[in-house]
Amino acid sequence: MTTSDCDVVIIGSGPGGATTAEVLCAAGWSVVVLEKGRNHLVDLEPPHEPLRHFANDEIAALRRHLLGPDPLLEPRTYRRTVEDGERLMVGEVNNLPSTVGGGGVHADAKLPRFREEDFRLLSERGPVEGASVADWPIGYDDLEPHYAAVEQLFGVAGEDGTNPFAAPRSTPYPLPPGDDMPMALVTSAASRRAGLHPYRAPTGVNSVAADGRPACTDCGFCGGYGCPVQAKSDPIAALQRALRSGRCDLRPESYATELVLDASGRRATGVRYLDLREHPEPTVLEVRARRAVVLAAGAFETPRFLLRQGLGGDLVGRYLTYHYQTFTVGLFPAADFPDGTGGERGRSVTHLHDDLVVDSVGLRRAARDAGLPWLRGGVVEHGAGQMPVDEATTYGPGPHHLDAMRDSALRRRMWAFTMQGEDLAQISNRIDLDPSVRDVWGFPAGRVTYAPHRHELAASAYAAPLHEAVMLDAGAEVAFSATSPPQGSLDQHAASSPLGMAPASRHVMGTARMGSDPTDSVVDAGQRLWDVDNVLVCDSSVFVTSAGYNPTLTLVALAHRAAHLLVGE
Amino acid sequence: MSPFDPEGRRAVAAALESAVPGSVELGALDYVECLLTAFDHEPPRIWAAPGEWAGPAGDPGPDAPAWLDLGPWERQAWQQRIADWASVYGRVVAGTADEADLRVVHAHACEATYGDPAYGGNRDGAGWARIGFPEPLHPPAGARRR
Ligand SMILES: Cc1cc2nc3c(=O)[nH]c(=O)nc-3n(C[C@H](O)[C@H](O)[C@H](O)COP(=O)(O)OP(=O)(O)OC[C@H]3O[C@@H](n4cnc5c(N)ncnc54)[C@H](O)[C@@H]3O)c2cc1C
Ligand code: SF4
Repeated sequence: MTTSDCDVVIIGSGPGGATTAEVLCAAGWSVVVLEKGRNHLVDLEPPHEPLRHFANDEIAALRRHLLGPDPLLEPRTYRRTVEDGERLMVGEVNNLPSTVGGGGVHADAKLPRFREEDFRLLSERGPVEGASVADWPIGYDDLEPHYAAVEQLFGVAGEDGTNPFAAPRSTPYPLPPGDDMPMALVTSAASRRAGLHPYRAPTGVNSVAADGRPACTDCGFCGGYGCPVQAKSDPIAALQRALRSGRCDLRPESYATELVLDASGRRATGVRYLDLREHPEPTVLEVRARRAVVLAAGAFETPRFLLRQGLGGDLVGRYLTYHYQTFTVGLFPAADFPDGTGGERGRSVTHLHDDLVVDSVGLRRAARDAGLPWLRGGVVEHGAGQMPVDEATTYGPGPHHLDAMRDSALRRRMWAFTMQGEDLAQISNRIDLDPSVRDVWGFPAGRVTYAPHRHELAASAYAAPLHEAVMLDAGAEVAFSATSPPQGSLDQHAASSPLGMAPASRHVMGTARMGSDPTDSVVDAGQRLWDVDNVLVCDSSVFVTSAGYNPTLTLVALAHRAAHLLVGE
Repeated sequence: MSPFDPEGRRAVAAALESAVPGSVELGALDYVECLLTAFDHEPPRIWAAPGEWAGPAGDPGPDAPAWLDLGPWERQAWQQRIADWASVYGRVVAGTADEADLRVVHAHACEATYGDPAYGGNRDGAGWARIGFPEPLHPPAGARRR
């Protein structure tokens, strides 16, 4: 066993870990970042230029697990409720990349802020039976300076003043908005005719050359792919700055397995990890932390890590939330998509609308009809269809295959609204350790137990016909909606959903909830574990509500705040 | 070296063609052979690298790797996966393929027809051309990977 020292060990190099590393290094602290995945992002040698590993390559990115994790090595399991038995499936469940940069590498980086109400949901809206609606221990005002700071650090491209529901801002967006996707302009116009308020999505992608990286080329292979020109800023920008400080030691292929605690059990002194460059018997190494350990392994792996050691209390892994996704698909006449106007070029999503997040007469009526006190949907993304390999595998084999590809209902002629619906926290929805499935290194796999609350179903049922009408008005010949996870019986689940049985959402939150009382939370308002003083959680595990907005900017702002509190600023 | 004898090649080609008509002319058999023999090469031919494409990071020079390396655990997973697929194609050749096997063949035929030509299929981008899919920008057509 080898040891070495630093001020802080950070587990995970995704947006949360990278931001924490940047703040700590800027304050003069030394950090070791342990990342279990491999490095395809940034040269670990000065001057830490981007690596040239990415191309517009569907096979490497979507079919061959270039960014990991490989489900043969790291399976996860899923069931809807305990009545399903130990599990319904083994394989990929909410997988985010396991690689240097984490999910930031392949996300298409819509980075909206939450609104004031999101932090005070219990006070503003009240309780809902069967759900655990709560206020956050901090408010929007506490987070606003950190939102502003991380928007600058990641060079968020956006437009002030066009979203009437946006929370107040102290600073303008640092970069102008990027190019619009032509079809997003068509669905935005139709949305406006329906009384909705679409706006250009704030995005962590260079709209112009900035920070030593070029502007986006609108290559089309965006959500799900590493950027070939490194126009995506989150999290390469933070990692480069941390590395260039000379105080960040980033160690890929380092699988953190255990916190090392002092005799009192209330203080972490370091982290043990496996050196995955070795095979088949990886050496166990230990890195000592003088001041703190930060868990930024993502809201799936952070609770899995804590549960293995029984740390964090009884609520670790509970209150798991996603976004309940409602997809409304419009199939347009081919003539509406002259070359390059579909999803074949451009970022995957360029426009959003927030109307279903805010209170309205329609939502109130739908809530009343469903016997609920209130309803909230989520941000709605105006986005493109599939890329060709993905599309081809959706159509069954046989003589009709080429005709289906030429007709291209799911790629060329398709446009979709995706509502990232607020998912109410429930204590029964959780991540725990599967009793028998293990990863290749012998550790129990993470298991999801998740079923939506009827609030989510009612909000989805309200949104679907509204968005179908907008699609038809935009010119679609056909419009229909589907949800993830799919609704209906188990047989229907298995047979009918191309997105699979488990939630397809990669917005995972809430599994180490923050609060002001150790009896109903896992971390305090400074994101420290209640039961181990110098261990912080800096990822979306700490979310108290899921808010119906893409989570990354908020988790990054929280990491920025927690790191500043840690260094005493 | 093909993993199949001439009769086996004919059987695999027929299965690919029946899953996605036109796929064999576009290189689907080469794609499957390239996949099953990926570990005959170093690095194994699993992930194509951008190669000599001079992106914004500048000209990588003539020694730019054509394939990305795998870590030791990724090698383990891919060896297992390829061994499983070799068994699938063994059953295709023997005429005993079941529904799950044919799903694998279909997936490979789709990848071969519409994926990056670097993997042996979609010859000269003709798969994209036949469905009107515009050439990807990175790398551009002129610098397509081999
Ligand atoms: C296709 C796609 C598009 C998306 N688009 C958006 C978007 O537009 N906007 C948005 O807000 N969000 C988006 N997301 C979600 C976004 O990727 C996540 O919210 C974000 O990556 C979470 O950041 P994180 O730092 O908390 O965790 P992660 O990004 O998951 O990073 C955690 C890292 O920790 C590592 N790790 C885990 N366990 C260990 C261990 N034991 N030892 C060492 N390392 C470990 C992992 O390998 C990983 O690299 C998208 C996701 C997908 C899949
Ligand atoms: S669309 Fe832009 S940001 Fe997205 S991968 Fe392509 S070049 Fe990069």
